[in-house]
Amino acid sequence: MFRGLLSVALLLVTVTVTAHAETWPDKDWAKGTPLAGPAVDALNAYAFPPRDDTSRKGIRTDALLVIRDGEVIYERYAAPTTVSTPHLTWSVSKSLMATVLGVAYGENRFKLTDPAARFYPPMKQHPKVTMADLLHWASGLDWQEDYEYAPLKSSVVAMLYTRGHADMADFAADTDAASAPGQVFRYSSGDTNILSATLKGMLGHKAYMSYPWDALFKPLGIRSATWETDGDETFVASSYAYLTARDLARVGLLMARDGRWGEQQLLPKDWVAFNRQPFANYRGGQDEAVPGGHWWLNKGAPRPWPDAPGDTLAALGHWGQALYVMPAEHLVIVRYGDDRDGSYRHNDLLKHVLAAVQP
Amino acid sequence: MIRRRPFTSVFLLLLLALLGWIWHERVNLQAFPDIIAAYTAKEYCSCRYVENNPADYCRGYVKQYVPTSAFSDNPERSEVIASGLGRTHTARWLGDRHGCRLTP
Repeated sequence: MFRGLLSVALLLVTVTVTAHAETWPDKDWAKGTPLAGPAVDALNAYAFPPRDDTSRKGIRTDALLVIRDGEVIYERYAAPTTVSTPHLTWSVSKSLMATVLGVAYGENRFKLTDPAARFYPPMKQHPKVTMADLLHWASGLDWQEDYEYAPLKSSVVAMLYTRGHADMADFAADTDAASAPGQVFRYSSGDTNILSATLKGMLGHKAYMSYPWDALFKPLGIRSATWETDGDETFVASSYAYLTARDLARVGLLMARDGRWGEQQLLPKDWVAFNRQPFANYRGGQDEAVPGGHWWLNKGAPRPWPDAPGDTLAALGHWGQALYVMPAEHLVIVRYGDDRDGSYRHNDLLKHVLAAVQP
Repeated sequence: MIRRRPFTSVFLLLLLALLGWIWHERVNLQAFPDIIAAYTAKEYCSCRYVENNPADYCRGYVKQYVPTSAFSDNPERSEVIASGLGRTHTARWLGDRHGCRLTP
């Protein structure tokens, strides 16, 4: 009798502990119960319609991965992308750089109010631009962020491929000012590459070259990362980080759990709070979502993605790359794509995923 | 003059505006022809050697509305050379961590 009670008590203790235990990926992700049902069929139909590689029209998902409570519950790839493809993330790289900078921030290497020129001398042309201004894409520099539709005037095309590729941060710092720093939101790949150069200034060249791995990728168990550099060996933080979908989801889980990885608070909580705080001078409709501290937010009225929760945090890139984090739903979603037109809608994908995860 | 030769005057004005625009955009116009070759070399290199996608997929992936005139992928040197609009650019794979970069 007594033994019976004891085992019941032990069982209860075990169940309680298990219920509170968090699942973290080790070498690989744990597998949860795979999603099934008509809502999943609808999700598949939305994200993976038949693909036409000649016209390149429509939604062209390369990878879709859904993590709930630290476990994989949905995962699908379209050829040639596979589970082991380090996919180009384009501007998702910007939020990755913000996360790397968050570790440096926790090491007291800079303050948000520091002028960028303190770490990167070419920014002496714009002495009042602070780290926070750059993280808000509000440097005030006269930057033209267009890709293939306006290649002549595009600052980003010139930076990546022609006049800027030898030294992208220097090219960006050379831009004239259009407004006072911190006053106006103007999405700029130049601002991000200046941030990348400030990090080099904080660390020195040698430590900088391995810092994204030492500070972020290795602690999270990320093994697939490539981060390309410009001719001056500065990480192209605006555009050129490559990770498998499973590895990018690790960064999502870090953000979902407030910058903590297991027992370690890798990013200071006030850093994550800064990432999540909408930029005060953003005006509704200036971009497809609301800029926080180098992450995108689903804030405001109306919300940019009305079917997704208001605490959704996202890293977004050209041609449909996305990392979505929904802390209250315990969800992390990675979506890679090769969308060449505007068919893909963040809100539609998130609506489909949220319907598919309902019990 | 304008009254007697209205078409010539309009034409001259337009020409003047065009020349002004060319002067204003001279830096951008000079760099413009480089875009397609540099883009093709760099993004093909990364598609092939960073993402490890098949060569024929990567050729389709980098296709743009501006054509390229010559292209070569040299796997033994991990080097990609592309030409278009009279300019030629080369990208090289540097290693696992740092991927591809345009050569200067």
